[in-house]
Amino acid sequence: MKKFKFAPYLLNLPLALLSLIFIVGIVNGLLQSFGLIPALGLYEFTFKYYYEVFSRSDLLASIGLSLYISLASSLLAAIFGVLLSLLLVMTGKAKGKTLNLVKIPIIIPHIVVAFFVITIFSQNGLLARIMYSLGLISAQADFPALLYTDNAFGIILAYLWKEIPFVAFFVITIMANISSTLGEAAKNLGASQWQTFWHVTLPLCMPSIKNAFLIIFAFSLGAYELPYLLGATMPKALPVQAFIEYTHPDLLHRPYAMALNGIMFFISLIIVVLYYRLLQQNTRKVNGGE
Amino acid sequence: MTIKEKIVGRLLLTVFALTVLVPIIVILVWSFAARWPWPNLWPQSFSLRGIQEIFGGYSGALQVLGSSIVLSLIVALLAVLIGTMTARSLVFYNFYGKRLIELGTILPIIIPSTVFAMGVHVLFIRFGLADNIGGVIIVHLICALPYTIKIMTDVTAAFGCKLEEQASVLGASPLQIFKEITLPCLLPGIISSACMAYILSFSQYFLTLIIGGGNVKTFAIMMVPYLQSGDRTIASAYSLVFICSTLLVFVIFEKTAKRFNKNGSNYFFV
Repeated sequence: MKKFKFAPYLLNLPLALLSLIFIVGIVNGLLQSFGLIPALGLYEFTFKYYYEVFSRSDLLASIGLSLYISLASSLLAAIFGVLLSLLLVMTGKAKGKTLNLVKIPIIIPHIVVAFFVITIFSQNGLLARIMYSLGLISAQADFPALLYTDNAFGIILAYLWKEIPFVAFFVITIMANISSTLGEAAKNLGASQWQTFWHVTLPLCMPSIKNAFLIIFAFSLGAYELPYLLGATMPKALPVQAFIEYTHPDLLHRPYAMALNGIMFFISLIIVVLYYRLLQQNTRKVNGGE
Repeated sequence: MTIKEKIVGRLLLTVFALTVLVPIIVILVWSFAARWPWPNLWPQSFSLRGIQEIFGGYSGALQVLGSSIVLSLIVALLAVLIGTMTARSLVFYNFYGKRLIELGTILPIIIPSTVFAMGVHVLFIRFGLADNIGGVIIVHLICALPYTIKIMTDVTAAFGCKLEEQASVLGASPLQIFKEITLPCLLPGIISSACMAYILSFSQYFLTLIIGGGNVKTFAIMMVPYLQSGDRTIASAYSLVFICSTLLVFVIFEKTAKRFNKNGSNYFFV
């Protein structure tokens, strides 16, 4: 192909422009979290807002809750997603119609999934009704409250419904390839099915699994919809609390919103660093290093 | 595999299928339920109230659905275009700042959208992009691009540029090459990434809320108050229409694609 010197730059122009908007947006938010908001007459660089966030117990609880939701849902989704992928590969359903079943939860939005959880797991939901008709409970109130509670059960359930298939979809292609080539080789050499999975398939899928985990962890840390629709009144997840501070009539609350955002940003920055180390490990492995 | 393992496999697959399908079936039933009191397992009576609410005309839901679909189609089109361009540059060229562009393609996945939304909002107000559809399209695009670029990069790398080079050597014009080779080869990827971008835009709630500021009313924005209201019939009807309209758009994408490419099959939905 003839190589036109400026072609790559022209091709990247729209993305570069959008990335610029993205980065300026993030930087702008961060500057505000350090108290630099000229529009409100604030010109002094300060750690005050971060300091105050860390000294308010309700905001600390928000940070804890968000970390707990993201970690619990992402870890469980990664584990069950890999198991689902394994199930589909071992039953020979890694391609074709059954895979559509994996795609359905991916296309259904979080707001609708929240509603699914309400219709099934609320105290007058389907599950409570089934338990009542089986005689396991005798009134609505006997069914444990799973939604709007501070253990965030409903939120985690909703994330799992969407993210288990996401992880499975993310790793299934590579898992199917490995098990049909190296997995067979391992079996021919006398490895049991379990040994093959544990010592061959799983380690080779690990980069994809970690990749999927980081994506869903970062997403659930910063997503507003599910904690807003299914969360308890107190404490609120970070994005919800940040939006409340952001839309507060007193504009001087805005730096607190930005400080909460800043905390989410620094957690996700750690994730980016991990992600990059992961990418480099992968390229080293592919290039035959180590 | 032993017979016992096969049975267990079947059983687990059925459990998975039920987990995916039961909630959808439940809201399908709820959409047509008139009265479904505790502790009944089946509605006492049925009505078309939920469907009428949406298709009756007085709620304005259909107009919002229509404009919401158009908005997401625009986002999908732009995302595919930009995704294809970026993918070509990443696969076929080495250039200054390539690592930076690669970083730019993953940042929006890793950095929480709330952080981005509130930061960019102030900026958009200054540039007149807040509270209007242009700003909403831009933020939806930023969210969708990491996925479309990933898909398009994979597809572009898989096909390479050998066919295009051959056609060029044989004297085909750039336009012919694009129409006869590039487009058909990339079509499965184009459809997958269009579906991905469409769904990311169509289901976006928070970004539209904050950047659109109430002026840009999408179907997702319209739906949320109903989901919270406790009127399960209406909420179910909205959810159902949301899912069905998405599937319909995907089917149309694939039908259109098949007119260009008779033997293609590797789309988002098989």
